[in-house]
Amino acid sequence: MSEASGPWGATSRPERTSRGFSLPYIDMIWRVRGEVPIDPALAPEEAFARLDPLLRMDGTTVAAEGNTLTYAKLNPAAQDKLATFTRGRLWIERAGAGAVLRFDLFSHALLLCFLAPLLFLGFAQLAVSLNDYEAAAAKAEASQKDKKDDDKPKPVKKLNPIDEFLGAPAPEDPNKKKDKKDEDEGRHSPEPGYFLAGLFAALYLLGRWLEPWLVRRRFRAALATPVDPAAT
Amino acid sequence: MAGVQVGKRIIGATGPVTVGWENIPRVEGGPIKQFVFTYFQPAMLFAAILFWYYAPNWLAVASTAIAIRLGWTVLLLALEWVNPRHKSWQLTWKEGVSDAFYVGLGMTFIGMVDSYIGDGAILGAVRGAFDWEKFSWFTGLPLLLQALLISMIFDFGQYWMHRAMHNWHPLWLTHAPHHYITQLNVQKGAVGNPVELFLIGLGIGGLFDFLPRAFLLAGAIGMTVGVYQHINVRFNTPRWWRFLFNTTEHHSVHHSQDYEGTRSNYSGTWIIWDRMFGTCVDGEAEVLGMEGGRRMHIGETMVFPFREGWREGKAWLAKKFGAKAAAPQAHLEPAE
Repeated sequence: MSEASGPWGATSRPERTSRGFSLPYIDMIWRVRGEVPIDPALAPEEAFARLDPLLRMDGTTVAAEGNTLTYAKLNPAAQDKLATFTRGRLWIERAGAGAVLRFDLFSHALLLCFLAPLLFLGFAQLAVSLNDYEAAAAKAEASQKDKKDDDKPKPVKKLNPIDEFLGAPAPEDPNKKKDKKDEDEGRHSPEPGYFLAGLFAALYLLGRWLEPWLVRRRFRAALATPVDPAAT
Repeated sequence: MAGVQVGKRIIGATGPVTVGWENIPRVEGGPIKQFVFTYFQPAMLFAAILFWYYAPNWLAVASTAIAIRLGWTVLLLALEWVNPRHKSWQLTWKEGVSDAFYVGLGMTFIGMVDSYIGDGAILGAVRGAFDWEKFSWFTGLPLLLQALLISMIFDFGQYWMHRAMHNWHPLWLTHAPHHYITQLNVQKGAVGNPVELFLIGLGIGGLFDFLPRAFLLAGAIGMTVGVYQHINVRFNTPRWWRFLFNTTEHHSVHHSQDYEGTRSNYSGTWIIWDRMFGTCVDGEAEVLGMEGGRRMHIGETMVFPFREGWREGKAWLAKKFGAKAAAPQAHLEPAE
């Protein structure tokens, strides 16, 4: 089979052809490259056959030609072991007496996780902007009509006698706390947005370390397991 | 598949479902593990109630609840790791990040929209329009009773909203993406189209006047009961608990690939609503999802109700007014 047309387009690795603007290491955000040593006696067909159980999942197209294999996944299932890497190229290189399986994998998940903090910073900014807008609108409204209802004392709520007996703290007097708090904080808080931006940045770092480690381990384990003729 | 008769219905005819508590596996392991995974749920419920009942006013505030919720989520994720109910539901990095995205959307964007058009705003407008006094006598009831009322009233509304989503096609289109999940994990409750998450969050609790502490107590009940509907942990749930409350077992039947199974166990916290209205199925399922377990990615989840609504609306109009029939397409059968 030659090059397969997968769900994300051609599955062979696009070579960089433009000589203009380039950021040399930027693709490390979403690309994972590495190698796994293999038994030099292993023919490429046999090596790829050993990887087949890892690759043969719903929504995956695989194409092997000579010593190179490419695959692409369309929305892989949660338990697909390669779900993070939606397309990839694997090839066998021989050097002297040894041989390695090299891989070059692409991950939508890593890229999107890398970008997610921007989205949540955007939501935080939206919260700030809405607060500013509403504060300005409220100010304009307040200047038009004089505030009167705030002066009315609010009724003090009491606990049920059972709760008093059991020792639950009594509700606060609503007339007491007229702090500046209400004025300072708007309706929306940007804090969840900031928190989530940080969380996704941390999740990205975790994933960028964990997922290549796992994929290397899985390739190594698969390559060490001979194909069971009964299973094919 | 033969299926099992539950009431007047056959459960498990179109997808694998285990019916009956006697057929559900128990926690495997030594006595300590057995003990922990038998008493964890009730112990945490009573601890949460005690905390919110006695916490001083400065501590009994929403920000404390948020901090506790965060630590609680981490603890539950650890439990999923230690004692998963199904290996096939184990959280992966990608699945965890995807879940976190939906949670994040709920904490930011949906929350912002909610503040303008959510139940708080709607009920405020209703009260303003009719000049009703709140049912203020509720605040004089014992705190725990208030908390139970809040929790049960909200869940009653949620039961019928959820049941409507499974029975009226336009609402189903908003809820369908949530049924494409293929495994249950702690955060899976947040996975779905934002329109659905907005609708399911609507409640009428705000119509009544309760003490703030009662709301915090009700939140604690939700956090230590309702949270288990989406969790990948094997518990030996006590009999009284699974009679009263929704469990991960009940909810996995609701998410099964069996059509009748999905028309069961609609409540979020109080499974007694299902028992009362004849929709409860005691059992569990491992194989979940729609269309044979096709995973729906985030992009499709966001557009699904609109895309399907547009397609089906167009087809309906064409049929109704005799225009050129739309090209035949796979009809999406509601799981209901």
